Amino acid sequence: MTAVAETTMAREPNIVLRLARRPTALIGMIVLVLMILLSVLAPYISPYDPAKLMVRARLTAPGAEHFFGTDDLGRDVLTRVLYSGRTSLLVGVAVVIFSSVIGVILGLMAGFERKLDPPVSRLIDAMMAFPDILLAIALVAVLGPSAINVVIALGIVYAPRLARVVRASTLVIRELPYVEAARALAVPTPVILVRHVLRNVTSPLLVQATFIFANAILAEAGLSFLGVGISPDIPTWGTMISVGRQYLEQAPWIMWFPGGAIIITVLSLQLVGDGLRDFLDPRLAKDI
Amino acid sequence: MKRMHLVLATAIALLSANGLALAQEKGGVIDVATVGEPPTLDPMASTADLVGIITQNIFETLYTFDANWNTTPLLAAALPDISSDGMTYTIPLRQGIKFHDGETMTSADVVASLERWEKVATRGKQTAEVISGIEAKDDNTVVITLKKPYAPLLPLLSLNNAAAIIIPAKNAGQDPLTDFIGTGPYKLEERVADQYIRLTRFDDYQSLPGEPNGYGGARKQYLDEIRFVPVPDPNTRVEGAVAGQFAYADSLPVESYSKIEGGKDKPVVLKPFGWPVFVMNTKEGLNSNLKIRQAIQAALAPNDMLLAAFGSEDFFAANADYYPEGYIWHTDAGTEPYKPDGDTEAAKKLLADAGYDGSPLRILTSRQYEFHYKMAQVAQAYLEAAGFKVEMIVVDWATLTQQRTDPAKWDIYITHSPFLPEPSLTGIMNDSSPGWWVSDAKHKALDAFNAESDPQKRAKLFEDVQKVIYAEVPAIKIGDFNALAAQAPNLEGVTPAPWPYFWNAYLTK
Amino acid sequence: MLRSIANRILGMLVVMALVLTIVFIIVRLTPGDPAAIMLGPDATAADVAELRHRLGLDAPVPQQFLTYIIGVLHGDLGQSIFLNQPVGQALLQRAEPTFFLTVFSLVIAVVIALPVGVLSAYYRDTAFDQAMTTIAMFAASIPSFWLGLVLMQIFAVQLGWFDTSGYGGPGASFAERMQHLVLPAVALGLISSALITRFTRASMLDVLNDDYVRTARSKGMDEWRVVVRHALKNALIPILTVIGLTAALLISGAIVTETVFGLPGVGSLIVSAVLRRDYPVIQGALLVVAGLYVLVNFIIDMAYLAIDPRVRY
Repeated sequence: MTAVAETTMAREPNIVLRLARRPTALIGMIVLVLMILLSVLAPYISPYDPAKLMVRARLTAPGAEHFFGTDDLGRDVLTRVLYSGRTSLLVGVAVVIFSSVIGVILGLMAGFERKLDPPVSRLIDAMMAFPDILLAIALVAVLGPSAINVVIALGIVYAPRLARVVRASTLVIRELPYVEAARALAVPTPVILVRHVLRNVTSPLLVQATFIFANAILAEAGLSFLGVGISPDIPTWGTMISVGRQYLEQAPWIMWFPGGAIIITVLSLQLVGDGLRDFLDPRLAKDI
Repeated sequence: MKRMHLVLATAIALLSANGLALAQEKGGVIDVATVGEPPTLDPMASTADLVGIITQNIFETLYTFDANWNTTPLLAAALPDISSDGMTYTIPLRQGIKFHDGETMTSADVVASLERWEKVATRGKQTAEVISGIEAKDDNTVVITLKKPYAPLLPLLSLNNAAAIIIPAKNAGQDPLTDFIGTGPYKLEERVADQYIRLTRFDDYQSLPGEPNGYGGARKQYLDEIRFVPVPDPNTRVEGAVAGQFAYADSLPVESYSKIEGGKDKPVVLKPFGWPVFVMNTKEGLNSNLKIRQAIQAALAPNDMLLAAFGSEDFFAANADYYPEGYIWHTDAGTEPYKPDGDTEAAKKLLADAGYDGSPLRILTSRQYEFHYKMAQVAQAYLEAAGFKVEMIVVDWATLTQQRTDPAKWDIYITHSPFLPEPSLTGIMNDSSPGWWVSDAKHKALDAFNAESDPQKRAKLFEDVQKVIYAEVPAIKIGDFNALAAQAPNLEGVTPAPWPYFWNAYLTK
Repeated sequence: MLRSIANRILGMLVVMALVLTIVFIIVRLTPGDPAAIMLGPDATAADVAELRHRLGLDAPVPQQFLTYIIGVLHGDLGQSIFLNQPVGQALLQRAEPTFFLTVFSLVIAVVIALPVGVLSAYYRDTAFDQAMTTIAMFAASIPSFWLGLVLMQIFAVQLGWFDTSGYGGPGASFAERMQHLVLPAVALGLISSALITRFTRASMLDVLNDDYVRTARSKGMDEWRVVVRHALKNALIPILTVIGLTAALLISGAIVTETVFGLPGVGSLIVSAVLRRDYPVIQGALLVVAGLYVLVNFIIDMAYLAIDPRVRY
């Protein structure tokens, strides 16, 4: 296949064929749904109570009684992985919602009102100057460790990224003829925003949201691992890895399974996000 | 007072195996890994073992403990001359002792230091209640007069935490201490917080003549420099020991024993080392109610807690007695409330009797001593099974030592103690140490115990003390445990001890 | 041209000002009284009041803000509560491991990502490309601390090729210290390379499709020259941007990785400051890191201006 043929291959307009070219997205979707289902059904399918200590049975290797083995206090690892999934996924969703709300508001403001653009963009730049974990840690340090504060912290961290995407789309949409017409007809701005702009912003927003979900899961795991996330009582994948660290040699399964869970979840989210991006509109999508 | 034979045996084994064959050479620098950054370098201001381990090289006390845990003179010239009524201690001082800044120690320095100890140190504050006066009789003699006979005085003057160290009189007014000038074999050279504390040999040190004897006797100062490196993460400490990065790594999780055996540094076990303890806040909050404390005592299951904390029964024993066999203080008097596997039903009943209102029981602990945290987790499960609501407050050790001084902030805090040579040195015996246990029964038993000078009679009186402890539950002893450290094969002269000391350590080729 | 530069400088200053304000707000959100925290519960009310006055905490908030700004401009970032040293000094002392870790990670990431990205773009949609894309995605899903632990387990503990943690003792040589950075840099670098690969590929794709490339090709120019000379050079600009962004990501990664590997860098300082509630250090670290990030992006912006004449602002 020569390079020329490569580069001149046109983008396939047919949706179904496009999806078929990305079977990975489909796989991602299935896996993601599976993970969510497992988490939601955790109380029903878990073989044990996640807080149940069976200290005598501590550090047992994966086997018939405990598929994923037990941890340092004799708790069933499979159960805890499932329950941790609930926490991690819930936090992820909450972060997406929170950051979307803030991000959309900021992005619309910057994109639609010429006058608001410079100050809001600068604000977004300033917020993006802080590396995500650093800002999250600082906010949690200040607000105190709790699930809500972690969500707020991560939400604030990721909002600017969403705002940028929303702003970019809004800038384009603002120039479209029917929007200009609406403004000329003195349709109130909020109505224009909701009825026209928002609808068209949804696609890139959705794509970004999946990536933010993925990042939020990684970030929350990192925070829990460091001991600055949700309180240590509640199991999360990050906390489990932190415990697994001490038993790396004797009981590596404590670390492997939560790590695997994170990788699978985040990977499937990325596949879905990529697929969505291709699917929804390759023209509007940007790689940043 | 008898000390466990094992330590002595190990010490002898170590010394004889190496001492005579090779000549100890002066020189060398060692890195000692510790559990973290010490909250202070003023041993009067802290009872933390970590502070004692580091500062015992810099500062000295009038007396110290020999290999049999008897008090022996250090800065004093001899054991004190005690009046027949036990209320006057005449302490002769050694002469020509130099401070790190070149000044010579006199009785004025000793008096000023002891007065600071009475004001600043928790043990000093407690002892101040029985001291009526401290005076310099002449340049080389100090006289302490007491209000009543007090047997723990000498051990108190020997201990290295909340220590009655001798510092120059001109520095005694500093609070907090800013000039770390002592008489010890090593002086403070440099301290970079969170990185290292460097101690270098004090060349004008006046060692006692002869041979080392426990913490007493001669201090040979072979090493040029001792560096204490804070390594708060236990994994890193273990891995550093395995890789041979440290000459000595203190306080390692006992479960890493086999890992260390296979590594460059060799495991050193101190058996038994001490006991983990849940200290109750009897002054404020939930635990000011005796029934609640009793409910907690019934709810806890020491076997499971110790197993989770130490992994293998080689390293712990669910022993209720405050001193194990081999100690003169060993007795099982009063220990019925101790249930190795817990008694949830009894706990539930006691909790109901106490009129528990459901407010959270706050447990203050730290992950720097991972076994504390593990026990806390197991405790939480058992307490919740008994009907308690539990809130865990997990902070780093330096913060914990700060927070435990505030009675509004916690109901239980977790710590551990080595088996101290003198029982009244234990934290709960002190009215003002965090927990603030005071009661008439306590004072009655303790005063009788402390006023008696005959060791055999004292041992019998200790039974009464232990009975009161189990009846009033100011703290809950979880069990006995062994400590694990790691030592480089080329480091000799280190005796296994609760507070390892390095002034007689030397490096071999 | 000059106007573009002036605009950018102005923009950067505004962002910095906002950063300063945000940090100020964050730290002021702290519940409780910093003076009381510093002195501990033993302190009397008089002591606390005196410290508050000395720290300027009893001044009205706008005045506090002014003092804070002036302090920062003089390089005074305050005094650490636990370390008994100025925050600036603490940060500087711990900068070395973090700096080298970031540099090594970046080098590893770029060395992997650029060739893979270019080749993936060139051999677009072939099995190679799909495999690389999937691998990159997989790598980006791995938590860096977990990968660090796995590497530690295999290479340091089992194989013994490296020291497991720490940064060498106080007297270690430079080479010894760098040896401690290998595993953490690999962990961070591998994961960062995923992002740079994707971006390089996308950039190259854009450029390879551009008209002037097609023109060069149709003129019969040798393939290799087309790719390297024209495509890569122009794709380099957005790639530089991503590298700049990655530097920020690496700092985040460094925070966690330093904890895993026991490196006494800025990252672990921040973590222990958070655990100890050492607010001056948290504040100082936020300022310095964000400030550096703004500076780095500014430099990249300038580079943009220099390289690509089409860019105007």
